[in-house]
Parts: sequence; C-alpha cells; structure tokens
Amino acid sequence: MHRRAVRMSLAGQAPLITLVVLCAVTGLMTDRFLSPFNLTNILVQSSIMAVIAMGMTFVIVGGGFDLSVGSTAALSGCVAAMLMPAGGLAVGVLGGVAAGAAVGLANGFVIAMLGVNPFITTLGTMVLVRGVVFIITGGAPIGDEGLPPAFIAFGSQRLFGVHYLVWVPAVLLAALSFIMRSTPYGRRVYATGGGREAAFLSGVPVRRVIASTYVWCGALAGLAGVMLAARLQSGQPTAGEFYELTAIAAVVLGGASLLGGEGTPGKSVIGVFIMVVLGNALNLLNVDSYWQRVAVGLVIIAAAAADRLRSRN
Amino acid sequence: MTCSRRAGIAAAVSIFAAALSPVLAFAQGGKTVIGVALAQDDNPLYILMLRGIRARAQELGWDVVAVSSNEDKLKQINGVQDLIARGVKGVLISPIDAVGINAAYDAAAQAKIPIISLARGSSSANQTLHVAINEKQIGAEIAEWTAQHIGGEGKVAMILGPSGAPAFRNLAEGYTDVMAKHPGIKIVFRTEGALTRERGVKHAEDALAANPDLKAIYNSNDDVALGAMQAVLAANRKGKTLVTGMNGVPPALRAVKEGNLALTVELNAFEWGRLGVDMLDHILKGETVGKQVFIKHRLVDAANVDEVLARIGKN
Repeated sequence: MHRRAVRMSLAGQAPLITLVVLCAVTGLMTDRFLSPFNLTNILVQSSIMAVIAMGMTFVIVGGGFDLSVGSTAALSGCVAAMLMPAGGLAVGVLGGVAAGAAVGLANGFVIAMLGVNPFITTLGTMVLVRGVVFIITGGAPIGDEGLPPAFIAFGSQRLFGVHYLVWVPAVLLAALSFIMRSTPYGRRVYATGGGREAAFLSGVPVRRVIASTYVWCGALAGLAGVMLAARLQSGQPTAGEFYELTAIAAVVLGGASLLGGEGTPGKSVIGVFIMVVLGNALNLLNVDSYWQRVAVGLVIIAAAAADRLRSRN
Repeated sequence: MTCSRRAGIAAAVSIFAAALSPVLAFAQGGKTVIGVALAQDDNPLYILMLRGIRARAQELGWDVVAVSSNEDKLKQINGVQDLIARGVKGVLISPIDAVGINAAYDAAAQAKIPIISLARGSSSANQTLHVAINEKQIGAEIAEWTAQHIGGEGKVAMILGPSGAPAFRNLAEGYTDVMAKHPGIKIVFRTEGALTRERGVKHAEDALAANPDLKAIYNSNDDVALGAMQAVLAANRKGKTLVTGMNGVPPALRAVKEGNLALTVELNAFEWGRLGVDMLDHILKGETVGKQVFIKHRLVDAANVDEVLARIGKN
C-alpha cells in the first residue's frame, strides 16, 4: 500500500524528477552550473518563456491550442515601445498587454463562437499578427533612439537581489495557480477541457470559458512581449519566432495533456526550466550547436513518451 | 515516506556532485577559454569565420566555446550569459542587431571581460572593439561595378538583409547612393529579411515575375545571392540578369567561376576570425587597440576568380 502510494506520487512528479536529474548530471559535469551567477542566469532566461507557458497552460487545459503567442509577443513589445516615448511607462506596458489580450479575444471568438479549429485559427493569427507587426513598425526595430531608462532598468536590474524579469512570473505563478486551483472559474476550465459535453450539461458556459482561456493566453503573451522588449532594449518586429513551439513543448513537458483537462501553471514552469536548463547545460558543456538541436528534440520526445507510458500504467 | 526518499536521493546526488566537481574543474586545467557567439551557425560566412577563430586559438593554445543563436536575439544574449557563467576570458560576438543585444555587452562588462564584435557591430558603450568592414564603401563599389556592367541603364532589384542590422543598411545605402547618380538605372524591387538561400530564390522569382527585363539583382550576402541565382537560371536569364553577392564564400566563388554569379566581394571570413582572436590576444595582454579595425575586401568577378580560388584552396 505504502509502496504503491510512493510510486503514484513519484509518477506525478516525473517532470520535477527529470529537472532534478538534469541539474544533478550537469552539476557533476561542470562546476560552473551551480554557481550563483549561472543560477541567476537560468532564472532570467526562463522568465519570459515562463509567462508565455503559463498563458498557454490555460488554453491547453481548456482543450485548445495557440500558435500565435510568438507573433503576439512581438506585437506587444513593439506596441509598448511605440507608446512609451509619448505616453510613458505605464501606458506602454498596458498598451502592450492590451494588444496581446485583443489578439487572444479574436482567437477566442473565432474558435469558441464560430467553432473553427484552434490549430488553423491560431496558425492564421500567427501569420496575420506578424504581418501587422511589420506594417506598424515598417520592419525596423522600435526605440533605437532610446526607451525610458526605467523600462531598460526593468529589463536588467534587480529588486531584493532578484531580477525584475523574474519577479513577474514568480508573482503570476502564485496568482494563476490560485485562480486555476481554487476558484469556480478555474474548475470550469478544467471541466471544459476534461469533457466539453459533460461540462456543458452540468451548466458550464463552455464557449465563454474557452474564449476566456485565449484571452489569458494572449494577455500573458503580450506581457511576455513587453518583458522581451525591455530585455532587448527595443521593440523587435522579428522577436518571438518559434516561441509558440517552445511554449507548447514546455507545457507538455510539465505534464499537461494536449487533449485538455490536465496541467497546472506550476508544472508548466517546471517544463520551461527543463528546456532552459537543457540549453544552458549544452552551452556550458560546449556541445556543438548542431548536436544541441538533436538533443533538444530527443528530450522533448522522451519526456512526452515517458508521460504516455506512465498514464497507460 | 515519499518525501524522505526523494530528499535522500537529492541529498545523495548533491553530495556526489559536490565531491566530483573539484576533480572535473582540475581536469579542465588552466587553459585560456574564449567564447564565441556568432549570429548564425548554418551560414558559410560564419562557418568559415568560426574555423578561422578556432585555427588561431589553437595556435595560441586557447580553447574555444561556441554558442549558437540563429538570428534569435534573446537566444544570443542567453548564450553570452552561458559563456560568462562558464568563465571565458573574452567573447567574440557577431551581434544580430545593433541595439537588441546590448544586454550581452552589459553582462560582459559586469563580468569585466572584453567583448569584441565581428562583422556586425553594436551601439553598446560596452563594446570593447569592432572588427568591421567598410560597408558603405563596399556597397558603393558593388553598385559601380553593376552600373558599368549593365551599361548604365535598366531595372535593378535589391534583396536586403534583416531589418535593424546596420551592416546591411550601410551596404544598401552605399549601393543606392551610387545608383541614384545613374539616371538610367531604376530600383524597382526591395525586400528585407533573413539571409537564407530559400529567401533568395523566392524573392528573385517574385522580382523576375514582376520585371522580366530585370538587369541586375543586388543581394546582401552570398547565400541569398546563390538562391537568387537559381531563380535567374530557372528563368533562362543567365547573363541577362546579373546577380551580385557579398562575402566571397567558397560556393559563391565557384558560382562566379561557372559564370552563374556575376560578382561577389571577398571578405575572407577565415582571416576575419583569425584577426578577431589576435585582437582579443592584444586586449588580454593589456595593449591598447582603439575601438574599430577594418578588414580588407576585394571585388571578385570572372576576371580574378581563379586567383582567389587557388589561394582559398590552401586554407
């Protein structure tokens, strides 16, 4: 009885164990890995993707899929950088997040209300939004002449020894975990993703719930785009390419099911850490960049396969 | 039960790690390690540059750690931070963008190590040195050569580099400034984007579809030019639409020899990489080197391609 309980709880923690093993092995192979500088480094490197992945968690738990987050992040970063010189920091940040939420709302409307397949819808917005970014920026980075110093500081400075960029996902993690786990809204998202018919029959407004998950995802991708602009000290129209794939991989690595109804923001953040630590480790160990791609691909497949084997048993 | 077992495993692993790490650190020895963060790892120019860096570093007894970014700015910043975490003595970087990568320069400055830009440059005050090319001059020379070879009149297309990278802006500016002085020449097509062969094919096809009588296609580097060249050959415009490249990578030189590519500019990326390491060596020895050095360039067309190919064969 005891043994089964152990196995069960260990199985639920497969992503965390993967992360710990990955860290331990890397720590054995290079003493630089566990240095305070590198640990800070990993946190900063994870911060932006963690915000995107938490948004993606809402969509995937609700049974959907969002390919447009990378383009949305670029849009929001550019909008923020364009608004900031005239409107100031707050207007820039809010404008960026609002732009992201607007993309999410559009996605949600088309998918939930019109019933179009999420893969195709968000593939469409991914391309469309990237086009809009190029149109509004003329293809050139925004803010070469300088963004507000406070915004640049947000991308590089620390508060209580931790980068501002890391505080954002840390606070969000607490808030979003609470929303997902302990509010009626959160339970509706799980219910909708777990079985849309059953949720509908028990009175959940499934369409509105599904649409709302895309708004979360868009707004958080927008916030991540604003963070990215602070990190790059400019709004970059080409930023965020392939972020959607990294985010989806991280959410699945964290143990969410692409079929919906499973996953938490915290587990998705662990998935992000796995991706980032892997890249960091391969760099520290001086692994050839071509082989790095092979390794990253293998890890994604292996983690997903391990998860399937677990759920079958 | 669960907790204690997991904690036990974690403790065992960390003790093991702690015990082994000094041994591994010792095994790595006291060699000078330098970091390299180029903009791409699948572009012949950067492949050749990295070879030059490795060759010179080996002569000096240094180790090279290279990270890749493939035109992803955040990845390049993260890569430089990984290099610093690894304890490199200096960084050779080809920044994707003049502003976007500044955080990497700031990180190097905080770690008190030199960071030298190769090829593309940065606007960061923390850039130790820029090993640059005289882009405007080269752009102007390509334009002069093109104007002369198309007889001073006709339509011209430009396939530019990624927006935001000043190297490609300067090149294009040098080119358009000269072309503006030729009233018979009209630039009818301009597009910006990543430097890939695939893109060269696609945009050259589009340019030719819109302007079947195109006289020349300017390309911001050889990879794009080799793509554009394929489109020109497919459209049976060999010799009628002149394709110019830039960088002088071996496949482009061979294409010039075959008469498919009209012109490239030899920058000798191999020597460029070597020069970067030499400059880093000077800086690490505490010598003053200024803020910018230029590498030599040379136009290569059918007239002198044999000589260049013969020399490259020796590298």
